[in-house]
Amino acid sequence: MDSSATVMLAIFVPFIFALLVPFVSKILKQHIGWYAVAVATATVLLILKILPTIIHGETIYGEIMWLPTAGLKFNIYADGLSILIGLLASGIGVIIMTYSIGYMSTKEDLPRYYQYLLLFMGSMIGMVFSANTIQLFIFWELTSITSFILIGYWNDKPESIYGATKALVLTAVGGLVMLAGFLLLQVITGTFDIPTILQDDSMIKAIHGHELFFITLLLIFIGAAAKSAQGPFYIWLPNAMEAPTPVSAFLHSATMVKAGIYLVARMHPIFAGTDAWFILVSGTGMITMVAAGFLAFRQTDIKAILAYSTISQLAYVMTMYGYTTYHEPGIGVAAATFHLVNHATFKACLFLVAGIVAHEAATRDIRKLGGLRKDMPLTFIIACIGALAMAGLPPFNGFLSKEMFYESSLEMGEALGSPFTLLIPAIAIMGGVLTFAYSIKLIDGIFLGKRQTKGLPEHIHDPPAVMLIPAAFLAALVVLFGLVPSIPIHNIVEPTTAGILLEEVELHIKMWHGFTTPLMMTVITFIIGFGIYTKYDAIAAWQDRFNLKYPKISVNYYYDQMVNNAKTNARKISSITQPGTIKTYVSALIFTMIMLVGIPIILLGADIIPQSLNFDIAIYEVLIMLFMVIAGIAAALLPAYLPAIIALSALGYLVSLLFIYLKAPDLALTQILVETLSTIIFLLVIVKIPQKFKEHIPTTTLVRDLIIAGAVASTVFILIVNATQGIIPPFESLSHYFIENSLTLAGGKNVVNVIIVDFRGYDTLGEISVLCLAAFGVYNLIHSRGDKT
Amino acid sequence: MNSTFLSLTIALLFGIGTFLILRRDIVKVIIGLGILSHAVNVLIVSTGIFDGTRVPILPGSHNDAGTTGSVFNDNLAEGILSPVVQAGTHMDYVDPLVQALVLTAIVISLATTAFILILAYRIHEEYGTTDIRELRRLWG
Repeated sequence: MDSSATVMLAIFVPFIFALLVPFVSKILKQHIGWYAVAVATATVLLILKILPTIIHGETIYGEIMWLPTAGLKFNIYADGLSILIGLLASGIGVIIMTYSIGYMSTKEDLPRYYQYLLLFMGSMIGMVFSANTIQLFIFWELTSITSFILIGYWNDKPESIYGATKALVLTAVGGLVMLAGFLLLQVITGTFDIPTILQDDSMIKAIHGHELFFITLLLIFIGAAAKSAQGPFYIWLPNAMEAPTPVSAFLHSATMVKAGIYLVARMHPIFAGTDAWFILVSGTGMITMVAAGFLAFRQTDIKAILAYSTISQLAYVMTMYGYTTYHEPGIGVAAATFHLVNHATFKACLFLVAGIVAHEAATRDIRKLGGLRKDMPLTFIIACIGALAMAGLPPFNGFLSKEMFYESSLEMGEALGSPFTLLIPAIAIMGGVLTFAYSIKLIDGIFLGKRQTKGLPEHIHDPPAVMLIPAAFLAALVVLFGLVPSIPIHNIVEPTTAGILLEEVELHIKMWHGFTTPLMMTVITFIIGFGIYTKYDAIAAWQDRFNLKYPKISVNYYYDQMVNNAKTNARKISSITQPGTIKTYVSALIFTMIMLVGIPIILLGADIIPQSLNFDIAIYEVLIMLFMVIAGIAAALLPAYLPAIIALSALGYLVSLLFIYLKAPDLALTQILVETLSTIIFLLVIVKIPQKFKEHIPTTTLVRDLIIAGAVASTVFILIVNATQGIIPPFESLSHYFIENSLTLAGGKNVVNVIIVDFRGYDTLGEISVLCLAAFGVYNLIHSRGDKT
Repeated sequence: MNSTFLSLTIALLFGIGTFLILRRDIVKVIIGLGILSHAVNVLIVSTGIFDGTRVPILPGSHNDAGTTGSVFNDNLAEGILSPVVQAGTHMDYVDPLVQALVLTAIVISLATTAFILILAYRIHEEYGTTDIRELRRLWG
């Protein structure tokens, strides 16, 4: 099997098997989780199969024509970058699904849970391997939608609904803004294909010089920032923590939030090397990094602390991808990529620990937790590894990438010159200090100190193996990547960096690299970090007081205002336009119809009643029409049902007579049959409905309705006499084809019949379907009566 | 050009149908819908007299000279029907396509009428009334 087919398979396997979940779950019952694990494992293996090709420095491209006439194709592009995120999505997927088997109670709706996890995984893989921006956008929004469903998994909790809606509103709207950016990119380059742009230097130069450059970059970056919870868009991520913990670990720390990072990295070769890129990406990153790290102090829910730390850590990565100068477009790319990998491992690990703690201690409130190290020693060790890696302590992988972060910050500061030489490293240290403080808080708050008894179960112990092993596996990776960094560096970071920078790279990373400036910075970080940690609770209390005092200084405040306004205004508008009474709807329709006829006639300056009217009429015609009007009036005025229905049916038969004069014999026959049938149905129903209600029409209503009816009648009359005036110039009617070919092509002389059964046979099929549906409807309505007889 | 009297008849049926749709009794509303669909069908068919007045049945060996039986004799309504495009094309048949469309419409209106009627019957069974305003009150 060639590599592009493998990639396609990796995209479609999760989707196809996700659709099979409802059927498989009938057989496997509560063991459906293992099925999901198997599917995810198969996906990992498929992606691993192409990894050697990518490590060799090759890229993979493949396409399937989708809509050839519109030039649409489904095409895939695999390089180091897409492999990295693809491996994260599928690999962490395996771990999370295994963990879920222990975490999710068997009473939950498991098929739905695993089905959406698999769908999410497929969307994520589809997104990273998309070779064109439109396809990327579709998968991008699919991840938003599956995330929405998974956050709102416990859909009876209002907090879940609020969190899910918030995530969907912000990420999906961000996605739409991004689509606008993609369209502008197409305007500039003339193509939607990403590899075409990447492989064409002249095209990238053209983009840099184009007047739409900044707005394109801004729109695409807004999409990325919304997805990765950067800048003001961060607010959705803390609320997304209402999801089951494995979902938070999977979507909201390891994979989906990395989609924005992925996009920034993917666009790096196109936009980097400009001031705009640095200011936008690194600027947003630095502000978010410090602000989110600071806000984490206030949180009492351990998952919320992790959410803010995720925002802050992603901001590290964002900042590093933003480091760029004209001569050296990718100062921080390798460091960013390495940190991306490391963050995925230690943060997912910490989330799993948070889930274990919540599962065993029945609370996630850090104020209630404490001193659990003796109750759950294994969990304690795993948590320490994860948190210390996040804090940036050796010998864990977080230390290495933080060193690289400091190093690239120094380099960037030097490249920009004073005052940035000191400013950028200082901001970086600030981010590191805050990270250090809340990382320590996690260990201290949950595991160290006195064993809390109030509000905690008496017996707390380590979880079952199915929950412990996934977390332990991630912790092992944290240590392994720290001690032997060449494994991730050679296998994934180097190919990814090569994919972003479009050139071969070789990295050398060691745990000990002498007394360098970054090491000094790390030491400074730890010292200040400890200092800050002693004041941790004081800072948190100050934040609480500030928030109470100035509730309006908060992004959430404006989001809530906007959503509430939208809701109230929508309610106001719909209470006007949708009052629920038929009269209002009918009046609106009638008014529109009158306007549609009246305005053109007035604008065209035509006579309302044309001069030349055809008053020729045969005497039998007069009789038929007279009877029709009489029957109609009788149907309207006769108060009892039965006479009115008889009048209606008389009108129907008169219409069939009229059809004969209008040269429509087939219609006349059909009308007679249909009229007979509908009269029978009418009578059958009327027998069952005793006429208890007799409407008494008040004079004002009568006058008003008569005016409406009169207006309709006159409008229709004006319409007909004007339309049949011959104002339309002669043209070749469509019907001529049918008349000419009826005999030769279909072998029938009755052209109407031939059209019905042959030329427009599919219309008739549709008509039969309508009849079937109506029959089903009638049958079900009658049988929906239940036992009330 | 349509006969003015025909146009007037169609217009009146539209008016009557509209008046009935505005009633409070569901059964009356359904009758109004029936009248409206008759009016629409006749209107569409009458526009088919566009560039000819002959019944759209091709002449063949069974019926020579274009006459297809006494009832559908093409001379029957001569005079009151006059084509809009006088000899604009060589076709002198009534437009068969609008007839095919209306044929479909007639059958579908049977289906919808049946469905709506049963719906009204079930509403009456559940709520004991056919008054729309009363139903609205019951639904809240």
